[in-house]
Amino acid sequence: MSLKWNAVAQTVYQTCLRLDQEDFDGYLELFAPEFHYWITAYSPEIRKEMIWLSHDRDGLAALLENVPDHVRRLGSLHRHATVYTVEPGENGTVRVTSSIQVTHTDPDGSSRLFAVGHYHDVLVDTADGPRLTERNAKLETRELGIGSHLPI
Amino acid sequence: MTSRTAAAWEAGPNLPATHRVSGLVYSDQTIFEEEKQHLFGKTWQLACHESEIPEVFDFRTFEVAGQPLVVSRGANGTIRTFVNACSHRGAKIVNDPSGNAKRFTCFYHHWSYDTEGACIDIPREDGYAPTGLKKEDCGLREVRTESKLGLVFVNLDDDAESLESYFGDALKPFEPVMGTGELEVFHFNRSILESNWKSWIETNLDIYHEVMHVTLRKTQVSAGAMKDRNFDLHKNGHAGIGGVKAKYGGYKGWGERDVASTLPGLDPNDLRVFEIFPNSTIIARGTVIRIDTIMPISPGRAVLECRGLGLKGDSDADRMMRIEHHNAYWGPFGRNVPEDAFAAEMCGVSFRTGAAKHQNIARDEDGHGQDDGILRNFYEEWSRRMGRPASNPVNRSEAS
Repeated sequence: MSLKWNAVAQTVYQTCLRLDQEDFDGYLELFAPEFHYWITAYSPEIRKEMIWLSHDRDGLAALLENVPDHVRRLGSLHRHATVYTVEPGENGTVRVTSSIQVTHTDPDGSSRLFAVGHYHDVLVDTADGPRLTERNAKLETRELGIGSHLPI
Repeated sequence: MTSRTAAAWEAGPNLPATHRVSGLVYSDQTIFEEEKQHLFGKTWQLACHESEIPEVFDFRTFEVAGQPLVVSRGANGTIRTFVNACSHRGAKIVNDPSGNAKRFTCFYHHWSYDTEGACIDIPREDGYAPTGLKKEDCGLREVRTESKLGLVFVNLDDDAESLESYFGDALKPFEPVMGTGELEVFHFNRSILESNWKSWIETNLDIYHEVMHVTLRKTQVSAGAMKDRNFDLHKNGHAGIGGVKAKYGGYKGWGERDVASTLPGLDPNDLRVFEIFPNSTIIARGTVIRIDTIMPISPGRAVLECRGLGLKGDSDADRMMRIEHHNAYWGPFGRNVPEDAFAAEMCGVSFRTGAAKHQNIARDEDGHGQDDGILRNFYEEWSRRMGRPASNPVNRSEAS
């Protein structure tokens, strides 16, 4: 495993920071061309794993480009990740599991928990540093109020 | 002067009573309590889809206007529903959202009930002998349960008309879509909205609000002729919207949906909507169906349950296609549902605070385009069942 914990963690944390800042171009720079993104959750009501968002890199880029045209929830989201494990994957990749908490802050400055879950990431080493090839944002929280136009 | 004085604002628009709604229907506590009694206590309410309880002894818990219920498929396949409360001390019996159980046993004193609601076990029953209480007197409260097109409905009113009569032929346009192939729920999401429940229903019925959604501006408004849109208004407040088309490639990043695996009776670009009065809506888009139910918690708060449905036996590729088509608009990270929820909450702010006194439902396009007739149909039925006109529900002129 050539990828070091600190470098991997830096990339994971940068995804949070850049998405919090709505720096969508900077966010996309952290993904390899073959990247795929999912938001998933398990429903105990229907006893099924659910996919709530699924995009390749181009699809995610188009989604983010369209975000400013939407009527959106007021305020901002703040993502807090903690890297829990970094394990060897296939073909020189690493599998990274992080805990994630997302808070929503409304325009009056009041913050509330929006969601908790885990990032299940796969990263590959590149000349520009570790880049993600997969992210599954698996949510424990299923009650999300009015939801979000942004990824987690 | 184009702005209005306080008196003019309070008086509302100069419109027929059928074309305006008082803000009090969204905020008044007495009206809310009467809605629970006259609407939610007497109309057929969606419990679940049959695919959520496919096997014998499968169950689902849910609520109607705050009342906990459990729906279960019995040994012979019959679906029954019970108030989810023990007949002994009243404790809620079933706490899992779903599962499989031959009997429901209360955690508190271990009283047990079978899937027909009969009390089948009372520990140390002989302790009740002096008072004459027997198991036969301690069954669960059964709630009327009937199904149509795979949808399981309940009615808290034992004397309500049958489900068949409640719908009449209103659901006929959906029979090919929902009654040909067996459907299956693949998406379920429950969310709390800080809004009156009717503000959510209005986002489903008010097709004029296409203007809010960039997706619909790009894919739907110009995709078909406004005159081809039609509204079917039915007794009991049900209503359908048909003739709406979409060209999905109009929104950046989306492709056209020229796929073979459409749902029966639909073209890939068809959109159909059906409102089940008072609080559920079926929306079918070519390849996928959404069914949502909004349930009141208080005048200013409601819980929204959304289901996504595809065909049972879908190939992996078809199921993924339906999921992606579903998620494009719907679900907590869809492009439209968060916008609709935002709209409902912003109306919630104005009616909760009393800032808004009325809303108008006055668009008249002769039953086509973006006509408000479907909203008027909803409030006509609301007024009939509530015994209060939605335009003036507390008869202010007489009270003053």
